[in-house]
Amino acid sequence: MAPEKAGLQVDEAALIRAAQRGDRDAFEQLVRVYDQSVLRLAMNLLRSPEDARDVYQEAFLRVYRNLGNFRFDCSFHTWLYRIVTNLCLDQIRKRKVRKEETTVVATGDGPLDRMDTVAEQRADTDPERNLFSGQLRRRIKDVLADLTPRERMVFELRHYQGLRLRRIGEILGTSEEAAKNCLFRATQKMRAALGDFL
Amino acid sequence: MSCAEARSHFWLLEYGELSFDEEERIETHLDRCADCRAARARTKELREGFDSLAVEPPASLLRDCRADLATRLEWEPPPPFAARQEGSEWWGQFLETLTSGWVLRPAGAVALLALGFMGARLAPSLGFLDFSGASEAGMSRVRDVQASSDGRIRIVVDETRQRTVTGAPGDRRIQTLLLNAARDPSDPGLREESLSLLDKRPFSREVRDMLVYALKNDDNAGVRMRAIEGLKEFAADPEVRSALSQALLGDANPGIRMRAIDLLAGDAAAAGAGGNFAPENMDRQIIGTLQQLMLREDNAYLRQRSQRILEAANASTEIY
Repeated sequence: MAPEKAGLQVDEAALIRAAQRGDRDAFEQLVRVYDQSVLRLAMNLLRSPEDARDVYQEAFLRVYRNLGNFRFDCSFHTWLYRIVTNLCLDQIRKRKVRKEETTVVATGDGPLDRMDTVAEQRADTDPERNLFSGQLRRRIKDVLADLTPRERMVFELRHYQGLRLRRIGEILGTSEEAAKNCLFRATQKMRAALGDFL
Repeated sequence: MSCAEARSHFWLLEYGELSFDEEERIETHLDRCADCRAARARTKELREGFDSLAVEPPASLLRDCRADLATRLEWEPPPPFAARQEGSEWWGQFLETLTSGWVLRPAGAVALLALGFMGARLAPSLGFLDFSGASEAGMSRVRDVQASSDGRIRIVVDETRQRTVTGAPGDRRIQTLLLNAARDPSDPGLREESLSLLDKRPFSREVRDMLVYALKNDDNAGVRMRAIEGLKEFAADPEVRSALSQALLGDANPGIRMRAIDLLAGDAAAAGAGGNFAPENMDRQIIGTLQQLMLREDNAYLRQRSQRILEAANASTEIY
């Protein structure tokens, strides 16, 4: 996959080879091609800026230390995401972040529920409908927290990162079929939990 | 196919992850079953509900992550592959050959002299680019901007190779590069940092326009927040007030809406405390905006704030 950034086609293979020869600038450019999506993935999975920051740091340090062993057997994106998803899975399993998280954050203007920062159909002023969407959002959050780390990961990569199941299978070191089964299980759990909204 | 079976596959259908045959069986069932069609529509709504929970990392977090990583890399030894490569580089071997015996040294010196001469003739001019206009600066890409402790600004620019540009905040070149960096679509961290450096600049139409543009159009809330902070100095400007009204009514982020109401209401601190706010400074347009806000705003704090300001201005809290 040739990544594109700011309308410029980046020669990824050349960047990787230069970084492998020890070119720090090339490595930095590689980081900049992917780091926003890495941070977004970590942030969405862990819902904690501190944990996302740790994952970002550790993931790119591992890439730097092991880049010499990268032999282009898979795409750099797949290799990087494999590292990131492993780190995130470890975090989710270890800290059970999603069950501990709070949606209320402190701001200069007092406590603010992060759920309120979510974009809504602002023209919609029907209070009953607003109440419904508020309840739905909270229920969705609980449902996501109840998925197993693996189901959560597959759902995140498919829904929020928009990756195809084949690619997800490659990243997680499994088959497309296994990834599909995992996604199916996750969506069945969500259907069961959100039954009254359906 | 039963209704239960069809419904269990709606999500995979949504994601386009079913085989052609599976999709066909579901579509055939949907043609015949109104209940399942309705359930399918609700699945789509639910999908939008999931979409609304997506979190976009703040630009400041991205910037901090990059800074942390750069610091950590300073302490990292070169990667093993690079270390192995060092001895095998053609240049290293060439130098090693030239310097391996005293007999070859004069020949090596002549070869190096010839290389230097040819290199100087063939290499492009390395003189500093003339950044007199935005279009010239636009040929480069600003990778990073930083404020130095001595009050100067350091900008890293990508051309065919990277170079560092330093200058005083008043330097025209610096301002042009910052304005370019503030438009970089790929890097919210860079945009935010550039805006933060721009907003310390004395008033200029270009800077004001850039901040208004970022407030109206940037998809990153951190960048929009930085832009609105920068607009504090220009809050009396009609164009800026119009952009603030738009943000107050339309921005998805309540923090930005709160800041917009502060700036529109005049003295932010006074309005926040409900103290010596001057209602005579409020124009009709702002009153209209606040009245609309009372109808549309979901956030209780913002509604209460708007109500207090309207009451202080002896304006109705409703639109008739």
